[in-house]
Amino acid sequence: MKLLARYNRVTLATTIVVMLITGIIYYVAIKLILINDVDKDLVVEENEIFEYVNQNHQLPQVFESNEQQITFTGARPGSVTRQFVDTLYKNIPSGRHRHHHHRGEEFESGRGLISSVAVGAKYYQILIVKSTVETEDLLKIIVGITLGVILLLLLVLFMTNRLLLNRLWQPFHNLLKELRLFNISDNRSILQPETNIDEFKELNQAVAAMSSRVKNDYKDLKTFTENASHELLTPIAVINSKLDSLLQTENFSQQQSKLLNDLYGAVSRLTRLNHAMLLLVKIENHLVGERQAVDVRRVVDELIIQFEEIFHDKELKVNYKLSDLIIDTNPYLLDVLLNNLLSNAIRHNLHSGEISIQLAANKLIIRNTGENVALQTDQVFKRFQKSSSSEGSGLGLTISKQICENLGFTLDYKFDGRFHSFTTTF
Amino acid sequence: MKILIIEDERGLRESIEEYFAEAGNVCETASTYAEALGKVNLYRYDCILLDITLPGGTGIEILKALKEGGHTDGVLIISAKNSLDDRLEGLDLGADDYLVKPFHLSELRARVSAIIRRKSFNGNNILQFHEIAIDLLAKSVKVKNQGIKLTRKEYALLLYFVANKGKVVSKNAIAEHLWGDGIDMANNFDFIYSHIKNLRKKLLEGGSNDYIQAAYGMGYKFTDQ
Repeated sequence: MKLLARYNRVTLATTIVVMLITGIIYYVAIKLILINDVDKDLVVEENEIFEYVNQNHQLPQVFESNEQQITFTGARPGSVTRQFVDTLYKNIPSGRHRHHHHRGEEFESGRGLISSVAVGAKYYQILIVKSTVETEDLLKIIVGITLGVILLLLLVLFMTNRLLLNRLWQPFHNLLKELRLFNISDNRSILQPETNIDEFKELNQAVAAMSSRVKNDYKDLKTFTENASHELLTPIAVINSKLDSLLQTENFSQQQSKLLNDLYGAVSRLTRLNHAMLLLVKIENHLVGERQAVDVRRVVDELIIQFEEIFHDKELKVNYKLSDLIIDTNPYLLDVLLNNLLSNAIRHNLHSGEISIQLAANKLIIRNTGENVALQTDQVFKRFQKSSSSEGSGLGLTISKQICENLGFTLDYKFDGRFHSFTTTF
Repeated sequence: MKILIIEDERGLRESIEEYFAEAGNVCETASTYAEALGKVNLYRYDCILLDITLPGGTGIEILKALKEGGHTDGVLIISAKNSLDDRLEGLDLGADDYLVKPFHLSELRARVSAIIRRKSFNGNNILQFHEIAIDLLAKSVKVKNQGIKLTRKEYALLLYFVANKGKVVSKNAIAEHLWGDGIDMANNFDFIYSHIKNLRKKLLEGGSNDYIQAAYGMGYKFTDQ
């Protein structure tokens, strides 16, 4: 839910509730005042009747006038309590109304006063009823205006909130855009959007501080990786050379040869891992050479020749369809990329499996058989994500992905039930 | 041949010295920048193995001093730095080759031999090993003056063996020399065996002696003894 929506919802709800409550209070108050007025009129009328009875000792003539009806009915003495009542007013329509109403009479809301008077020995109940139609009309108008004002107010509030909040939050959205572009490995620092609002200024500063801290930490980490890998190379070089020297001493038993072979294997794996780490750091640091026109087809051709013995060794069936493609790129990185992808296709293949290499207009698709389970797309390019049986460094695909990002290519993984395919789009 | 090994890591320096030590070879060593500079200014070598990071200075400075003195000693840089820029800088300054640590001693030896051959043959491109003559320019091989037809890999293999004659060369070293880093994907190194078998067969058919010996299942030795 958007902040604006949330804010609008709350403010609108409270405004409506408050307005409704004031509306009701307003309505009740006005109604009371108006009824009070009517009641006063009724009392005046009652007094007139009393006066008339006092002077003339008889009931006054009952007549219709001024939206007011008076009826006298005989009653048992003392049985009538004086009270104001809400009642109905029977309107005998005058001529101009007649065509509106097919019935001869209609009822309107009215206010009545029940009172009593004694004329001589006779006791009468007096009912004075006044129409309150006008009062009601007045109320309706007042309520209508009030409602109208409320609606207008709400609309204005809504619009201003929208405009104002959008404007107010602009620095926030700008910063968000910057944050989305944030890349830990590039040199671009976060641009601080202009703002006069203290909160946003603070946010800007916090984000800037955080990003530079993160970048520094990352740089330290990279430097550490690089240094560690470098430092490791010397002892590995010593081990390697000592193994070569050891090999020159004569007479090894079969057991010793086996041990030596395993040592050679482990050392060369260590070497490759180290080189891979160094290469990755270098690529991430954008420390790569210049671009030039590279014949991709030739690179792939050479790779296929290079790996020929290994294809035979694993009895892999290799199909390839290569069309001419020359792109402007870094030849060294392209070589590493294609080498990694093809190595990957060989390494994770089944014995006597298949590899298909397709070089089309702007993409290279390398597909290979392998375990019949799709790899997790979000994990496949992560560091040291590898099958336990793999002898690789666990960095091959990470390096490939990094190279692609560096050179402006994309690298995608797909599994179609039989083939794992890696597509490089140049 | 006379070789100077400039390397500060004792273990590595000693291994290299030992590997190169044989009749007819003179190996000298230097472990610091000052020592190396002194020797480079005083004596001439067929090939100088030059480490880049040295106590007291860098190998690059030694290389510069060498070139400023107008000396034409062969220079092979051995460095832990595997960046293209370092490599290019070294080669631009006149180094003959660049080998990244760690390396197999047999690979080092092959590179040094190549440098010395280039430096000293002066137009004579034939490398002779008893009845085998290798034409380095034409990349062709003759046994008793009869040409034999070798594949690209067999030719490289023969050259590698000749450079490391009398030494046991591990299968790993051969595989990395011929196939590069991608070699780790192979299940085993049996396909090396088939290349060696073919090479041996062709040499024997051409009338050569059998110089290739298997060594304890770990590698091969090219020897006339």
